[in-house]
Amino acid sequence: MLSFNQKLLSGLKRERSFINNYEMKDIRILIVSFVFALSSSTVNAQGPIPNITDYRLDFTVVDMKGDSIRLSSLKGKVFLLDFWASWCGPCRYANKQLVKYYSKYKSKGFEILSVSLDDEEKDWKKAVAKDKITWIQGFDKGGWDSFAAIKWQVDALPSSFLINKDGDVVGINLEKDELEKKIKELLGL
Amino acid sequence: MKKIFAVLAVSFFTVALQAQFSKANLQASGLTCSMCSKAVKVALEKVPFVQEVKVNIKTQEYTIVFKERNNAEFDALKNAVEDAGFSVASLKVTGNFSAVSVQKDKHLQLDGKNFHFINSSDKVLNGEQTLTIVDKDFLSAKDYKKYSAATKMECIKTGKAGNCCVKDGMQSEERVYHVII
Repeated sequence: MLSFNQKLLSGLKRERSFINNYEMKDIRILIVSFVFALSSSTVNAQGPIPNITDYRLDFTVVDMKGDSIRLSSLKGKVFLLDFWASWCGPCRYANKQLVKYYSKYKSKGFEILSVSLDDEEKDWKKAVAKDKITWIQGFDKGGWDSFAAIKWQVDALPSSFLINKDGDVVGINLEKDELEKKIKELLGL
Repeated sequence: MKKIFAVLAVSFFTVALQAQFSKANLQASGLTCSMCSKAVKVALEKVPFVQEVKVNIKTQEYTIVFKERNNAEFDALKNAVEDAGFSVASLKVTGNFSAVSVQKDKHLQLDGKNFHFINSSDKVLNGEQTLTIVDKDFLSAKDYKKYSAATKMECIKTGKAGNCCVKDGMQSEERVYHVII
Protein backbone atom coordinates (compact mmCIF):
# COMPACT_ATOMS: atom_id res chain seq x y z
CA MET A 1 0.00 0.00 0.00
CA LEU A 2 1.48 3.30 -1.07
CA SER A 3 1.50 6.14 1.40
CA PHE A 4 -0.63 9.17 0.63
CA ASN A 5 2.43 11.14 -0.29
CA GLN A 6 3.60 8.57 -2.78
CA LYS A 7 0.16 8.33 -4.31
CA LEU A 8 -0.01 12.06 -4.76
CA LEU A 9 3.48 12.28 -6.15
CA SER A 10 2.79 9.55 -8.66
CA GLY A 11 -0.33 11.48 -9.62
CA LEU A 12 1.79 14.57 -10.05
CA LYS A 13 4.12 12.88 -12.49
CA ARG A 14 1.16 12.31 -14.72
CA GLU A 15 0.20 15.94 -14.63
CA ARG A 16 -1.44 17.48 -17.63
CA SER A 17 1.06 18.30 -20.28
CA PHE A 18 -0.26 21.85 -20.64
CA ILE A 19 0.49 22.72 -17.05
CA ASN A 20 3.71 24.68 -17.06
CA ASN A 21 6.50 24.49 -14.53
CA TYR A 22 5.12 27.26 -12.41
CA GLU A 23 1.76 25.64 -11.98
CA MET A 24 3.48 22.35 -11.21
CA LYS A 25 5.28 24.14 -8.41
CA ASP A 26 1.98 25.50 -7.11
CA ILE A 27 0.41 22.09 -7.02
CA ARG A 28 3.39 20.68 -5.20
CA ILE A 29 3.07 23.44 -2.64
CA LEU A 30 -0.63 22.66 -2.38
CA ILE A 31 0.01 19.04 -1.64
CA VAL A 32 2.81 19.69 0.80
CA SER A 33 0.69 22.19 2.70
CA PHE A 34 -2.30 19.90 2.49
CA VAL A 35 -0.47 16.96 3.99
CA PHE A 36 1.15 19.19 6.57
CA ALA A 37 -2.15 20.79 7.61
CA LEU A 38 -3.80 17.45 8.11
CA SER A 39 -0.86 15.67 9.67
CA SER A 40 -0.71 18.21 12.45
CA SER A 41 -3.83 16.90 14.12
CA THR A 42 -4.89 13.65 12.49
CA VAL A 43 -3.87 10.57 14.40
CA ASN A 44 -4.19 7.72 11.99
CA ALA A 45 -2.13 4.55 11.73
CA GLN A 46 -2.33 4.70 7.95
CA GLY A 47 -1.09 8.25 7.77
CA PRO A 48 -2.83 11.53 7.21
CA ILE A 49 -5.19 10.88 4.30
CA PRO A 50 -7.53 13.83 3.68
CA ASN A 51 -11.15 12.77 4.12
CA ILE A 52 -14.26 14.61 2.96
CA THR A 53 -15.88 14.25 6.39
CA ASP A 54 -13.10 16.36 7.92
CA TYR A 55 -14.70 19.67 8.88
CA ARG A 56 -11.73 21.50 7.41
CA LEU A 57 -12.61 20.12 3.96
CA ASP A 58 -16.38 19.82 4.10
CA PHE A 59 -18.52 22.51 2.45
CA THR A 60 -21.99 23.15 1.12
CA VAL A 61 -22.74 24.49 -2.36
CA VAL A 62 -25.94 25.29 -4.23
CA ASP A 63 -26.91 23.03 -7.13
CA MET A 64 -28.68 23.91 -10.40
CA LYS A 65 -32.12 23.73 -8.77
CA GLY A 66 -31.02 25.90 -5.88
CA ASP A 67 -30.81 23.02 -3.38
CA SER A 68 -27.91 22.71 -0.96
CA ILE A 69 -25.41 19.94 -1.54
CA ARG A 70 -23.05 18.97 1.23
CA LEU A 71 -19.75 17.43 0.17
CA SER A 72 -19.70 14.88 3.00
CA SER A 73 -23.16 13.62 2.00
CA LEU A 74 -21.49 11.93 -0.98
CA LYS A 75 -19.55 9.59 1.28
CA GLY A 76 -20.00 5.99 0.15
CA LYS A 77 -19.67 6.85 -3.53
CA VAL A 78 -16.63 6.85 -5.77
CA PHE A 79 -16.63 10.41 -7.03
CA LEU A 80 -14.61 13.20 -8.53
CA LEU A 81 -14.60 16.61 -6.88
CA ASP A 82 -13.90 18.98 -9.74
CA PHE A 83 -13.23 22.72 -9.46
CA TRP A 84 -13.81 24.69 -12.63
CA ALA A 85 -15.26 27.90 -14.11
CA SER A 86 -17.01 28.75 -17.37
CA TRP A 87 -14.21 31.16 -18.35
CA CYS A 88 -11.49 28.53 -17.88
CA GLY A 89 -10.65 27.07 -21.29
CA PRO A 90 -8.76 24.02 -20.02
CA CYS A 91 -11.73 23.23 -17.73
CA ARG A 92 -14.13 23.23 -20.65
CA TYR A 93 -11.81 20.89 -22.50
CA ALA A 94 -11.67 18.61 -19.45
CA ASN A 95 -15.49 18.59 -19.31
CA LYS A 96 -15.55 16.82 -22.66
CA GLN A 97 -13.55 13.96 -21.13
CA LEU A 98 -15.69 13.90 -18.01
CA VAL A 99 -18.91 13.67 -20.02
CA LYS A 100 -17.51 10.51 -21.60
CA TYR A 101 -16.49 8.87 -18.31
CA TYR A 102 -19.68 9.88 -16.57
CA SER A 103 -21.93 8.25 -19.13
CA LYS A 104 -19.72 5.15 -19.06
CA TYR A 105 -19.45 4.69 -15.27
CA LYS A 106 -22.51 6.40 -13.81
CA SER A 107 -24.50 3.17 -13.76
CA LYS A 108 -21.58 1.47 -11.98
CA GLY A 109 -21.75 3.97 -9.14
CA PHE A 110 -19.44 6.79 -10.26
CA GLU A 111 -20.43 10.36 -9.47
CA ILE A 112 -19.00 13.81 -10.11
CA LEU A 113 -19.43 16.93 -8.02
CA SER A 114 -18.34 20.00 -9.96
CA VAL A 115 -17.86 23.25 -8.12
CA SER A 116 -17.94 26.35 -10.29
CA LEU A 117 -15.98 29.41 -9.16
CA ASP A 118 -17.84 31.64 -11.61
CA ASP A 119 -18.90 35.09 -10.47
CA GLU A 120 -22.13 35.10 -12.46
CA GLU A 121 -24.69 32.37 -11.98
CA LYS A 122 -25.93 32.76 -15.56
CA ASP A 123 -22.43 32.15 -16.98
CA TRP A 124 -22.23 28.95 -14.97
CA LYS A 125 -25.67 27.69 -16.06
CA LYS A 126 -24.99 28.51 -19.70
CA ALA A 127 -21.72 26.55 -19.65
CA VAL A 128 -23.35 23.58 -17.91
CA ALA A 129 -25.99 23.45 -20.66
CA LYS A 130 -23.47 23.92 -23.46
CA ASP A 131 -21.12 21.21 -22.17
CA LYS A 132 -24.11 18.87 -21.64
CA ILE A 133 -23.26 18.25 -18.01
CA THR A 134 -25.72 16.03 -16.16
CA TRP A 135 -23.78 15.33 -12.97
CA ILE A 136 -24.05 17.27 -9.71
CA GLN A 137 -23.21 20.90 -10.30
CA GLY A 138 -22.43 23.21 -7.42
CA PHE A 139 -21.98 26.95 -7.50
CA ASP A 140 -19.61 28.71 -5.14
CA LYS A 141 -19.42 32.36 -6.07
CA GLY A 142 -16.32 34.29 -5.21
CA GLY A 143 -13.61 33.05 -7.54
CA TRP A 144 -10.36 32.20 -5.78
CA ASP A 145 -11.77 33.48 -2.52
CA SER A 146 -14.81 31.21 -2.51
CA PHE A 147 -15.23 29.09 0.59
CA ALA A 148 -14.76 25.68 -1.05
CA ALA A 149 -11.74 26.85 -3.09
CA ILE A 150 -10.02 28.15 0.03
CA LYS A 151 -10.76 24.99 2.00
CA TRP A 152 -9.30 22.80 -0.73
CA GLN A 153 -6.48 25.26 -1.40
CA VAL A 154 -7.36 25.45 -5.07
CA ASP A 155 -4.91 27.77 -6.80
CA ALA A 156 -5.27 26.68 -10.40
CA LEU A 157 -8.19 25.59 -12.57
CA PRO A 158 -9.11 22.93 -13.33
CA SER A 159 -8.31 21.12 -10.07
CA SER A 160 -9.80 17.76 -9.30
CA PHE A 161 -9.73 15.28 -6.44
CA LEU A 162 -10.73 11.63 -6.81
CA ILE A 163 -12.51 10.29 -3.72
CA ASN A 164 -13.00 6.63 -2.78
CA LYS A 165 -16.01 5.07 -1.01
CA ASP A 166 -14.48 5.82 2.40
CA GLY A 167 -14.34 9.52 1.53
CA ASP A 168 -10.56 9.55 1.22
CA VAL A 169 -8.74 11.65 -1.37
CA VAL A 170 -6.89 9.12 -3.50
CA GLY A 171 -5.90 11.14 -6.57
CA ILE A 172 -5.27 14.73 -7.53
CA ASN A 173 -5.59 16.14 -11.04
CA LEU A 174 -5.73 12.78 -12.77
CA GLU A 175 -7.01 12.87 -16.30
CA LYS A 176 -7.78 10.78 -19.36
CA ASP A 177 -6.47 7.17 -19.17
CA GLU A 178 -5.04 7.58 -15.69
CA LEU A 179 -8.34 8.85 -14.39
CA GLU A 180 -10.32 6.09 -16.06
CA LYS A 181 -7.95 3.41 -14.78
CA LYS A 182 -8.31 4.68 -11.23
CA ILE A 183 -12.10 4.99 -11.47
CA LYS A 184 -12.34 1.39 -12.62
CA GLU A 185 -10.04 0.26 -9.86
CA LEU A 186 -12.08 2.05 -7.18
CA LEU A 187 -15.36 0.67 -8.56
CA GLY A 188 -13.85 -2.83 -8.56
CA LEU A 189 -14.28 -3.25 -12.32
CA MET B 1 10.72 91.07 -4.09
CA LYS B 2 13.08 88.73 -5.86
CA LYS B 3 12.86 86.37 -2.92
CA ILE B 4 9.06 86.34 -2.94
CA PHE B 5 9.10 85.64 -6.62
CA ALA B 6 11.48 82.73 -6.06
CA VAL B 7 9.24 81.28 -3.35
CA LEU B 8 6.22 81.66 -5.58
CA ALA B 9 8.06 80.03 -8.45
CA VAL B 10 9.10 77.06 -6.31
CA SER B 11 5.64 76.53 -4.86
CA PHE B 12 4.09 76.86 -8.29
CA PHE B 13 6.53 74.31 -9.61
CA THR B 14 5.76 71.73 -6.90
CA VAL B 15 2.01 72.21 -7.20
CA ALA B 16 2.15 72.18 -10.97
CA LEU B 17 3.81 68.81 -11.19
CA GLN B 18 1.61 66.91 -8.82
CA ALA B 19 0.20 63.53 -9.46
CA GLN B 20 -0.60 60.62 -7.19
CA PHE B 21 -1.22 57.19 -8.63
CA SER B 22 -4.00 55.23 -7.00
CA LYS B 23 -4.60 52.10 -9.04
CA ALA B 24 -3.62 50.04 -12.05
CA ASN B 25 -5.30 47.67 -14.49
CA LEU B 26 -3.17 44.80 -15.60
CA GLN B 27 -3.57 42.00 -18.10
CA ALA B 28 -1.31 38.97 -17.91
CA SER B 29 -0.53 36.49 -20.64
CA GLY B 30 1.37 33.27 -20.97
CA LEU B 31 1.44 29.89 -22.62
CA THR B 32 -1.39 28.68 -20.42
CA CYS B 33 -4.64 30.32 -19.35
CA SER B 34 -3.35 33.10 -17.09
CA MET B 35 -6.69 33.64 -15.36
CA CYS B 36 -6.80 29.92 -14.50
CA SER B 37 -3.96 30.32 -12.04
CA LYS B 38 -4.17 32.09 -8.73
CA ALA B 39 -0.42 32.76 -8.95
CA VAL B 40 -0.66 36.20 -10.56
CA LYS B 41 -3.18 37.47 -8.00
CA VAL B 42 -1.12 36.14 -5.09
CA ALA B 43 2.10 37.64 -6.48
CA LEU B 44 0.50 41.06 -7.00
CA GLU B 45 -0.94 41.03 -3.48
CA LYS B 46 2.57 40.61 -2.10
CA VAL B 47 3.84 43.84 -3.70
CA PRO B 48 4.35 46.25 -0.76
CA PHE B 49 2.38 49.23 -2.13
CA VAL B 50 -0.59 47.10 -3.19
CA GLN B 51 -3.72 47.36 -1.05
CA GLU B 52 -6.04 45.03 -2.94
CA VAL B 53 -6.23 42.98 -6.13
CA LYS B 54 -9.56 42.34 -7.84
CA VAL B 55 -9.95 39.81 -10.62
CA ASN B 56 -12.24 40.79 -13.46
CA ILE B 57 -12.92 37.73 -15.57
CA LYS B 58 -15.00 39.59 -18.17
CA THR B 59 -12.17 41.93 -19.12
CA GLN B 60 -9.45 39.42 -18.19
CA GLU B 61 -7.97 42.14 -16.01
CA TYR B 62 -6.55 42.53 -12.54
CA THR B 63 -7.52 45.78 -10.89
CA ILE B 64 -4.77 46.69 -8.45
CA VAL B 65 -5.64 49.28 -5.80
CA PHE B 66 -2.60 51.02 -4.34
CA LYS B 67 -2.17 51.98 -0.72
CA GLU B 68 -2.59 55.64 0.12
CA ARG B 69 0.49 57.83 -0.14
CA ASN B 70 2.24 55.00 -1.91
CA ASN B 71 5.39 55.33 -3.85
CA ALA B 72 4.31 52.88 -6.50
CA GLU B 73 7.14 51.51 -8.63
CA PHE B 74 5.38 49.99 -11.61
CA ASP B 75 8.34 47.71 -12.31
CA ALA B 76 7.43 45.82 -9.13
CA LEU B 77 4.07 44.87 -10.68
CA LYS B 78 5.75 43.59 -13.81
CA ASN B 79 8.30 41.63 -11.79
CA ALA B 80 5.55 40.05 -9.68
CA VAL B 81 3.70 38.84 -12.78
CA GLU B 82 6.91 37.45 -14.26
CA ASP B 83 7.84 35.70 -11.02
CA ALA B 84 4.43 34.02 -11.14
CA GLY B 85 5.34 32.60 -14.53
CA PHE B 86 3.44 34.97 -16.79
CA SER B 87 4.13 38.19 -18.62
CA VAL B 88 2.41 41.56 -18.71
CA ALA B 89 0.19 42.09 -21.75
CA SER B 90 -1.05 45.51 -20.67
CA LEU B 91 -0.55 47.86 -17.73
CA LYS B 92 -2.59 51.02 -17.30
CA VAL B 93 -1.97 53.23 -14.28
CA THR B 94 -4.50 55.70 -12.99
CA GLY B 95 -3.77 58.72 -10.87
CA ASN B 96 -5.07 62.07 -9.81
CA PHE B 97 -3.39 64.93 -11.65
CA SER B 98 -3.39 68.61 -10.90
CA ALA B 99 -2.25 70.97 -13.60
CA VAL B 100 0.36 68.70 -15.16
CA SER B 101 1.59 70.00 -18.51
CA VAL B 102 2.68 67.28 -20.86
CA GLN B 103 4.38 67.60 -24.19
CA LYS B 104 4.82 65.08 -26.93
CA ASP B 105 8.08 63.11 -26.79
CA LYS B 106 9.22 64.97 -23.66
CA HIS B 107 10.25 63.88 -20.19
CA LEU B 108 8.46 64.86 -17.04
CA GLN B 109 8.86 64.02 -13.36
CA LEU B 110 5.67 63.02 -11.59
CA ASP B 111 5.13 61.44 -8.19
CA GLY B 112 8.90 60.89 -7.88
CA LYS B 113 9.10 59.03 -11.17
CA ASN B 114 10.30 60.00 -14.63
CA PHE B 115 7.82 59.76 -17.46
CA HIS B 116 8.28 60.07 -21.18
CA PHE B 117 5.04 60.91 -22.99
CA ILE B 118 5.31 59.19 -26.34
CA ASN B 119 2.23 60.25 -28.23
CA SER B 120 0.53 63.01 -26.29
CA SER B 121 -0.27 66.32 -27.85
CA ASP B 122 0.73 69.29 -25.69
CA LYS B 123 -1.87 69.57 -22.96
CA VAL B 124 -2.54 70.09 -19.29
CA LEU B 125 -3.78 67.09 -17.32
CA ASN B 126 -6.24 67.53 -14.51
CA GLY B 127 -8.28 65.13 -12.42
CA GLU B 128 -8.24 61.37 -12.89
CA GLN B 129 -6.07 60.28 -15.79
CA THR B 130 -4.94 56.91 -17.03
CA LEU B 131 -1.56 56.29 -18.61
CA THR B 132 -0.62 53.14 -20.51
CA ILE B 133 2.95 52.01 -20.02
CA VAL B 134 4.60 51.06 -23.31
CA ASP B 135 8.04 49.99 -22.09
CA LYS B 136 9.43 46.68 -23.27
CA ASP B 137 7.82 43.72 -21.43
CA PHE B 138 4.78 45.80 -20.44
CA LEU B 139 2.90 44.98 -23.63
CA SER B 140 3.08 42.63 -26.59
CA ALA B 141 6.27 42.66 -28.64
CA LYS B 142 4.28 43.86 -31.63
CA ASP B 143 2.83 46.85 -29.81
CA TYR B 144 6.19 47.67 -28.23
CA LYS B 145 7.72 47.84 -31.68
CA LYS B 146 5.02 50.22 -32.80
CA TYR B 147 5.50 52.63 -29.89
CA SER B 148 9.28 52.41 -29.81
CA ALA B 149 9.30 53.65 -33.39
CA ALA B 150 7.48 56.79 -32.23
CA THR B 151 10.55 58.31 -30.56
CA LYS B 152 14.15 58.67 -31.66
CA MET B 153 15.40 58.70 -28.07
CA GLU B 154 17.39 55.71 -26.86
CA CYS B 155 15.62 55.58 -23.50
CA ILE B 156 12.66 53.65 -24.95
CA LYS B 157 14.98 50.70 -25.53
CA THR B 158 16.52 50.58 -22.05
CA GLY B 159 13.92 52.25 -19.84
CA LYS B 160 16.81 54.26 -18.39
CA ALA B 161 17.68 57.90 -18.95
CA GLY B 162 21.02 56.92 -20.45
CA ASN B 163 23.07 59.42 -22.39
CA CYS B 164 20.24 60.74 -24.47
CA CYS B 165 18.19 62.13 -21.65
CA VAL B 166 20.60 63.46 -19.05
CA LYS B 167 20.11 66.90 -20.53
CA ASP B 168 16.62 66.82 -19.01
CA GLY B 169 18.21 66.79 -15.56
CA MET B 170 18.13 63.05 -14.95
CA GLN B 171 20.97 60.74 -13.96
CA SER B 172 21.79 58.22 -16.65
CA GLU B 173 20.77 55.31 -14.39
CA GLU B 174 17.36 56.72 -13.57
CA ARG B 175 14.30 54.76 -14.63
CA VAL B 176 12.07 56.38 -17.24
CA TYR B 177 8.55 55.05 -17.78
CA HIS B 178 7.35 55.45 -21.34
CA VAL B 179 3.65 56.14 -21.50
CA ILE B 180 0.84 56.98 -23.85
CA ILE B 181 -2.34 58.77 -22.92
